[in-house]
Formats: sequence, structure tokens, C-alpha cells
Amino acid sequence: MNEQEQERYESELRRTPPAPLPAHFMARLQAAKPGPERGSRRLFLPDHPSLGWRVLLHLVAPAMAVVLAGFLVVRLKVKSEGSAKERPLAATVGLKANDLQVDQELVSSFDVVATLPNGQPVRFRCRQWKDQLVVTDKSRGVEIEQNSPRVEVVPVRFETY
Amino acid sequence: MNSGSKHELPADSDWEQWLSRHAPALLLFARQQVKCDADAQDLVQEAVVESWRRQSQNAPPPLGLVYATIRRRAIDLARRNDRRAEREAESLLDGPQCWFDAGAEERERSLLLQKAMTNLPQIYRDVLTLKVWSGLTFGEIAEALEIPPNTAASRYRYGLMELRKLTREVFA
Repeated sequence: MNEQEQERYESELRRTPPAPLPAHFMARLQAAKPGPERGSRRLFLPDHPSLGWRVLLHLVAPAMAVVLAGFLVVRLKVKSEGSAKERPLAATVGLKANDLQVDQELVSSFDVVATLPNGQPVRFRCRQWKDQLVVTDKSRGVEIEQNSPRVEVVPVRFETY
Repeated sequence: MNSGSKHELPADSDWEQWLSRHAPALLLFARQQVKCDADAQDLVQEAVVESWRRQSQNAPPPLGLVYATIRRRAIDLARRNDRRAEREAESLLDGPQCWFDAGAEERERSLLLQKAMTNLPQIYRDVLTLKVWSGLTFGEIAEALEIPPNTAASRYRYGLMELRKLTREVFA
């Protein structure tokens, strides 16, 4: 089929347009115009300062839930593993530390994607850290190690992501 | 800075004009994605409303995005087999749907064209529908169908040739 034939055939096809919408469906679509309630629910950069808190709450509520859940999981895990290590901490009173080491270890990093009630996607970057504190008292020959889990959740805009 | 403040609702006239202009082709495409007309209408409504809501400014959504949404929703729908089977059974009671405008003189031609389109592989049918009846560019078709623009163009050529063979009796 050469170019002319193709154009002729395309115009032939276009002479038969798609069927018009059934009247009831057209009425349904016209009534389905996006309403002000949903349209005004925006996630970022609100118009009014007071809306900022609502937006912030939108972000903070799921973030806090993730933080709390992560913290509980890690806390339970650490407790079950290292309850023996916690006991010496009770004896820290009166210790004279010769050496103090503070360390942060990134345990895991992952992204969580959630959908807000208005359908807008939001992404959270979650990082699990293990904060380690080692206190050494050489005179008594004591080394105390404390590990604390920490979860960091940062909301990330899709555009910037 | 405050891009969100530009989000406004479409005016009634804009909304209705846009619907009158594009909804028939959107429904044609949706009808080709699902077997049941009620599902096709639901797909169009969901996709149109969702695409308009995604717009940050008071501007119509890109057509490629609307078609892409219809296609994705159709795939989701196909996975929900129970509901689909139920609605397809209901649709049999409504009788077959005409894809094309079936005016008194053109009725036979429309039905033959619909039959020919039905016999085309879907990959060709999708591209042909978007190009011929929706007027999308190959770039927009590529976006809607999530394929490279060159693939869209070659599918269009093959599809057009196939359709021509199938419609010889219609377009003699």
C-alpha cells in the first residue's frame, strides 16, 4: 500500500466515526465532573497556612504508624536477643569510663509507597539504624555495650523522587 | 512555588465540550478492551475523572494518559474474573453493542467494519483505534500502550494492511 492509498483508506475509515455515547452514559459522565471536595485535597504546598497542618497530619500520621511499628518490631527483637547485655547497664553507676565509642550502623533502607485518601501517592523513605554505645572501664575490666534501634522515616515527594 | 494553588475545577462548558469531543473515541477504545459494555462505560468514567483530577492546572489531561488509564484498568478488571463473568452474562441480555456510528445508510458498513476490527489481533486494533478514530500521534499512542513509538508505527502499518484485506467488501 503506497502513501496515497494509505491516506485514502484512512479517510475512508474516518468516514465511519465511533458510535455516539448512549444518552444515559453521557448524562452520567457529565455528572461525574471532578467535584470541589476531592479536587481541593492536595498533598503538597497548600494555599492557606492552616491547611499546612492538615497536610502535615496527612503525612505524619502514616509516618508515625510506620515508625511505631518498626520500633516495636526492632525493640522486641533486640530485647529477646540481648537481655543479658542489658543487665550490666544496671551496674554502670560508679563506673569510670576510660573509653567511649559511639557508632551508627545502617541496618536497612527501604521505601514504602502509600496512597492517601484522595488517591495521591506518597512515598516514605525508611531507614533502620542501630546506634551502638560502648563504654569501657579498664580499671575494673568492664565493657558495656548498648544497642538502640532507631527508625528514620522521611516523606519524599514523587516529583523529587 | 505554590503550584497546588493552580488546581482548579474544569468549568462546566469545558468539561462538556471535552467529553463531547473525546468520549465517543474513548468508549470505542474501552469497548475493545472488555467484552461487556457496562464495564467499558465504567472504565471510561473512572479514567476520565481520575485523569482530570491528576491535573494540577485547569487544563484537560493528555489523551495518552486517559487511554493508558483505560488500558490499565481493563487489565485489572480482567483479573477480577468472577465479576467480569457476571457482568458479561448480563451484557448478553442487552444485545451486541455497535462500535461505530450506525446511521441508516451506514449501518451495514459499520457492522462490517466492526466485524473486521474484531478479527484483527488486539495489538493492531489498539493502535489503529488510537490513530484513526482518536487522532493520537505515535508518541501519544506509545505512551498510552506503553510501547516504543517505532513499534506503534510499525503495528499501525501492519494493522492497516490487515484491516484493508478484511474490509475489501466494505471499501471497494
